[in-house]
Amino acid sequence: MNAVDRLLRSHRPQDGPLRVLAASGQLGYGIPEPALRRGLARAPDFIGCDMGSIDPGPYYLGSGTMAAPPEMVYRDLDLVLCAALDAGVPLVIGSAGTAGARPHLDAVVAVLRQIARRRGRSFRLVTVASDIAPEQVVSALAAGTLEPIGAIDLPSEEQVRACSHIVGQCGTDTLAQALALGADVVLAGRACDTAIFAALPVMLGYPMGLALHMAKIIECTSLCCRPGGRDAMLAELTMDGFTLESMNPDSHATPASVAAHALYEQADPLRVEEPEGTLLLDAACYEALDAHRTRVHGARFVARDRPSLKIEGACLVGQRVVLLAGVADPGFLDCLPQALAVVEQRVRALVTGAWKLFTHIYGQGAVRPLAEGTLRAGEAGLVLEFIAPQVELARTAAGVFKQNLLHYGYPGRKSTAGNLAFAFTPSEIDAHAAYRFVLYHVMQDVAIGDLFALNAIQVDGQQVH
Amino acid sequence: MTTLAPLDPGGRRLADVAHVIRSKNAGPTLLTIDIFFNDAQAFALAAQSAALSCAAVAQRYGVDAALVQRHLVPGIHAIKFVLPRQVCAGSPGDGDVYGAQQHVPLLEVML
Repeated sequence: MNAVDRLLRSHRPQDGPLRVLAASGQLGYGIPEPALRRGLARAPDFIGCDMGSIDPGPYYLGSGTMAAPPEMVYRDLDLVLCAALDAGVPLVIGSAGTAGARPHLDAVVAVLRQIARRRGRSFRLVTVASDIAPEQVVSALAAGTLEPIGAIDLPSEEQVRACSHIVGQCGTDTLAQALALGADVVLAGRACDTAIFAALPVMLGYPMGLALHMAKIIECTSLCCRPGGRDAMLAELTMDGFTLESMNPDSHATPASVAAHALYEQADPLRVEEPEGTLLLDAACYEALDAHRTRVHGARFVARDRPSLKIEGACLVGQRVVLLAGVADPGFLDCLPQALAVVEQRVRALVTGAWKLFTHIYGQGAVRPLAEGTLRAGEAGLVLEFIAPQVELARTAAGVFKQNLLHYGYPGRKSTAGNLAFAFTPSEIDAHAAYRFVLYHVMQDVAIGDLFALNAIQVDGQQVH
Repeated sequence: MTTLAPLDPGGRRLADVAHVIRSKNAGPTLLTIDIFFNDAQAFALAAQSAALSCAAVAQRYGVDAALVQRHLVPGIHAIKFVLPRQVCAGSPGDGDVYGAQQHVPLLEVML
């Protein structure tokens, strides 16, 4: 029997707590092993891992590549897969391969197969594809059911179709559908981080509000503790609340640290919007059990009539080349923005074509606006981005710009031999393709039931390949 | 009748009365800034300070005050601000993809 069916048949909420082990909030960056081992010794009923986020930016969704280093992805997946199979408990992984589109899902399935072969392990895998067809988004746009989240425009139909990948954040109901197919491992493409940890508890009959609140906190593992960290986190869920405990004995879940976590990366500390409804935290209570553990209860869930879906889409902007250089001459520091503007005009006369320049003057407000009078630090670092439809054009613009800036004769110049310090050459570097988010919107009134393609696969590590 | 403790005429520097001042994206289109104060008194001082009104924060970040939200969370002595990002995270021209260094303009706020 597969691990999910075994859990669904054997666990009754009235019999005792459901032990949920959050092994990783960012699978692929090195799961701390001592805390994971301590968590496994507590006989968890299932193991969950979050593997992705929109935070790293549009490149990963747009290009279909993973942010985490492949070697470390293999190492982390190997750890949690073997742990779950050894214990005979379900493993649930969400937001496969950073951005959770088809190429990310396929890449993670390939790593799971590789581990299965090397370890000689077999298991039943259910995947959830989170890709949303552009037609679906275009229809929502036409129907007026596509709503921006925050400061982003409504896209045109062409912009939607120009997205290289569009994903929807599947929720608890979708993961429950996948789990109901029976699995040892469920791997979802883009997923709500809550769904990874809430779906099994909800299927077992635990209240949606508690399950989601627990999930929301533990999906970042020990980040809700003081001191915060990346160590595995254990939650023990009952029908009336849950207990949080870091598997690092020096990382403590206190009422204040857990309550504070509700603010983390959230626009509203008291409301969390999910596809199926809204999690309300206004009546949540946090009580210390001891110096290390906190008990939480009181969260409520209000279902919405028609589900909604957060969607994300990214499109190619062009090919990026960056030029890196340092500046220390006080006279040049005083006129850097003007010098860059003049040199840009000269280079445009030499290098025609649709290249764009984005300047970052570190030391002079590249990170945040600086007040006049604080601009002139001892030196500045230049990161100049050249983005063009073809990488050759971006390289040409960067190379010509470098030489023109190096020898630009600004008023009052004394250093007539050169304006720039290079840490190395070539100082212009191919920097991957540039993408941007076109979609970060909510689709209202979505028939979610058949939107996400589910696929059950028997992975057989005993097979001769 | 309650009386407030007299304020230091020079005011208090935000960085001196808060133990956490952090910024991060809340999705790629919004920036959220969380300030955790050292105690209830510091929280109360900050909550009533004009220097931490939506209008004052909007001005520091160069955004429309109507687009800034402020949440007071007295139970944990925290104030949260939510602002629109000027550039969507990771689009060309962005300088802070994670939004993790955008708390700095608040460090020197005098309450």
